[in-house]
Amino acid sequence: MLVDLQGPWSPLLGRLALSQIPYENPILAPLFVVVAIMGIAIIAALSYYGKWGYLWREWLTTVDHKKIGIMYIIIGLVMLFRGFMDGLMIRTQQAMAVGPDAAGYMGALHGYLTPYHFGQIYSAHGVIMILLAATPLLVGIMNVIVPIQVGARDMAYPYLNAVGLWITAAAAVLVMASLFVGDFSHNGWFGIAPIFELPYSPGVGVDYWMWVMQLAALGSTLGSINILATIVKMRAPGMTWLRLPIFTWASLATNIIALTSFPALTVALALIGFDRYLGTHFFTAGLGGNLMLYTDLFWLWGHPEVYFVILPAFGMLSEIIPTFSEKPLFGYVTMVLATFGIAGVSWAVWLHHFFTMGAGPDVISFFSVATMLVGIPTGVKVFNWAFTMYRGRLRFETPMLWSIGSLFLLLVGGLTGMMLAFPAINYMVHNSVFVIAHFHSMLLMIVYAIFGAVTYWWPKIFGFKLNEAWGKAVFWLFTAGTVGVFVPMYTLGFMGMTRRLDYVFNTQWQLLLDVQMLGIAFYSLSVLAFLGLLYVSIRDRAKSRVSHDAWGTTHSVEWMTPSPVPFYNFAVVPHINARDEWSWRKEHGFTDLRPDHYEDIHMPKNTGIPLILGVLTFLLGFGLTWRIWWLCALSLALIIAVVIIRSFDADTGYIIPADEVERMERAHHDRAQAAVELPQAGVPGGVTAYGQGNKPAAKGEVGAPGSGISSPEGSRA
Amino acid sequence: MSHDNPLQHPEVQVASGRGYLLTFLISTLLMGVSLLLVANHAMAPFGLMLVLSLCAGLAVIVQIYFLMHMDLSEAHIWNTVALVLTIPLFILAIGLTAWMFSTLYERTMVMLPTMHGMAGMVH
Repeated sequence: MLVDLQGPWSPLLGRLALSQIPYENPILAPLFVVVAIMGIAIIAALSYYGKWGYLWREWLTTVDHKKIGIMYIIIGLVMLFRGFMDGLMIRTQQAMAVGPDAAGYMGALHGYLTPYHFGQIYSAHGVIMILLAATPLLVGIMNVIVPIQVGARDMAYPYLNAVGLWITAAAAVLVMASLFVGDFSHNGWFGIAPIFELPYSPGVGVDYWMWVMQLAALGSTLGSINILATIVKMRAPGMTWLRLPIFTWASLATNIIALTSFPALTVALALIGFDRYLGTHFFTAGLGGNLMLYTDLFWLWGHPEVYFVILPAFGMLSEIIPTFSEKPLFGYVTMVLATFGIAGVSWAVWLHHFFTMGAGPDVISFFSVATMLVGIPTGVKVFNWAFTMYRGRLRFETPMLWSIGSLFLLLVGGLTGMMLAFPAINYMVHNSVFVIAHFHSMLLMIVYAIFGAVTYWWPKIFGFKLNEAWGKAVFWLFTAGTVGVFVPMYTLGFMGMTRRLDYVFNTQWQLLLDVQMLGIAFYSLSVLAFLGLLYVSIRDRAKSRVSHDAWGTTHSVEWMTPSPVPFYNFAVVPHINARDEWSWRKEHGFTDLRPDHYEDIHMPKNTGIPLILGVLTFLLGFGLTWRIWWLCALSLALIIAVVIIRSFDADTGYIIPADEVERMERAHHDRAQAAVELPQAGVPGGVTAYGQGNKPAAKGEVGAPGSGISSPEGSRA
Repeated sequence: MSHDNPLQHPEVQVASGRGYLLTFLISTLLMGVSLLLVANHAMAPFGLMLVLSLCAGLAVIVQIYFLMHMDLSEAHIWNTVALVLTIPLFILAIGLTAWMFSTLYERTMVMLPTMHGMAGMVH
């Protein structure tokens, strides 16, 4: 070996040993029992109801972008819950461990978490929330919506899509494994040089962190290539760039950022890997290493990543707000320009994460000004949303509530961001919980948009709406939690409380920390209410079935498809005539069209290979973490072999015959007709509200050759 | 949707085993040379940095030409767009990093102009 490992190592098990299993830990051991019982219960239920075949055929081997998107969202929600539990533990520890007289439990001097354990919890909280909760949720929603919005039947690379999903799942499983086997990194989600070097962090925690990040980055890069290719190459005829739905524009900008910035992260992590596994000195303090170079490389990705997660959220707001204002989006072109403005500036602001490094005043000023520049396109967006709502017929249904909450958080987070962009202020509040409250405002803004988007597009994917009353209960409980936790946190930041304290020395902060506990209690209630929301909505789904246009005032292409969307999305590829195609069709009475004939559809075949690759990737990550070299070599060789074998498989698609398509379309049509009779589907003012803003395309484009659509006798829905 | 043979796409047509092998060989050679130069401390640090940058630049050009078969034809317009996009990103990422570190070194590593002394400390 090239490096000095502390502790035992064996060729068979690497660094793995029984002592690495924390079976004596009073928190983890009971948790493991609970997880094991739940796992056994799920396996038993699947076997009892005979659902293994269904699970394998419909989900595990699927290449359908909608199902892959749903699985991304499920991973995201599960990891959001895990990250929330970490947050709950951080808050509880800080509220308990105030002042020298604070009692200690379970081996801790104060509170109930030892500093080492506390460090792992905040590190895991950050990694999970950003890379394994927010990112999969956003990627999942883009996966579901973007292909439908551009009028395509699937992603450009359906197989690659599934590979990206299962690699992300491998990263999620790896971070969960760190709970019960070994420990996790304690050097923050972004890593601090040189603490992550082997001599200072001799355990496997940093290795877990590094490979989890590396796998998540790989999954995101593959996903971004796919979405970019889909948007560039798979648009329906007639969908010119300026007719692209706004969420698709946001996804395009987002994935350009992802594709160009994730390599910086993978390089930074690979260099840590060289340091920890081969004994190089890229980020050590001596021998030519440079500590700040790591920070530089990390934030070179880290700041674009911030916009990678926020731009899709902006796109979601731009879809939801017009729908519930019953108006077209104000300033479509400026919205697109603002999106790309933010994406462009995202590349030139990363030093503001380490203003205190000690670079020269010119450098600091440059990055300060660049950071403030982000406010201009963001301001354009906020004004566009405000003007969209101005004199609109606002309906405060759940997605709209989440969107408006999101705007308030954007305002708070944005203004505190402007404050932090001033180097003078930044030097004062650097590393305080003020910064934490700021970026939580921004990330919660994203979470609000995600919840809004999930509620908004849920009926499109599943064919029924989520329960309004429960949805609103989740919103208000979650908002009470947000206010309760983060207003005191801003205050504590100004009072000088630094981040990541496992022991709070100042007893005057006790009251505000207790208020935060109240906030986290509201968050916990909102989690329960969310589960209640799912239960009630699924139970009452027969009563809330919807037809194509679930909200009555939607405007973009995805609402032209039946709800739930058939697996082939469009029986006949639509011809796009206007920017808000669905509004345009409603205006022209083309909502109830049937093509005069159907054609055969070519669809990708299901394949189990992505799942196999995901399992092998997890084994590779686990083997690398524990330095089990035979496992690494074996899984890597198998990955290469499986990829090669798959590449020789020429039979990856199948044809759905035209009459089969027609039969399925009729079934969808009948179901839609049945749903239309229900009161939920009809919304007053739905059609006329869209009469003005959309310029119809040149006459004669409807029913043009290739569109396959002809108009029946002008039946206005 | 047309079901034409994917092997006929211009993106696939540029594939060539010879090009890939050549890229692999040249890249390996350049990397090996760089590794040897560094391992043997063959030059002063500044000269070494120049030679390594040169090798890296050569490797990039080889990969663009032989591996990605970049050309300006209409069929590969998106490759060209992607390449053009990397230019500002390259300038920002490398240029701003160099700028911030040069000002940092002025403040923290006063020995920088005489790095020969530091190289001696390594041994």
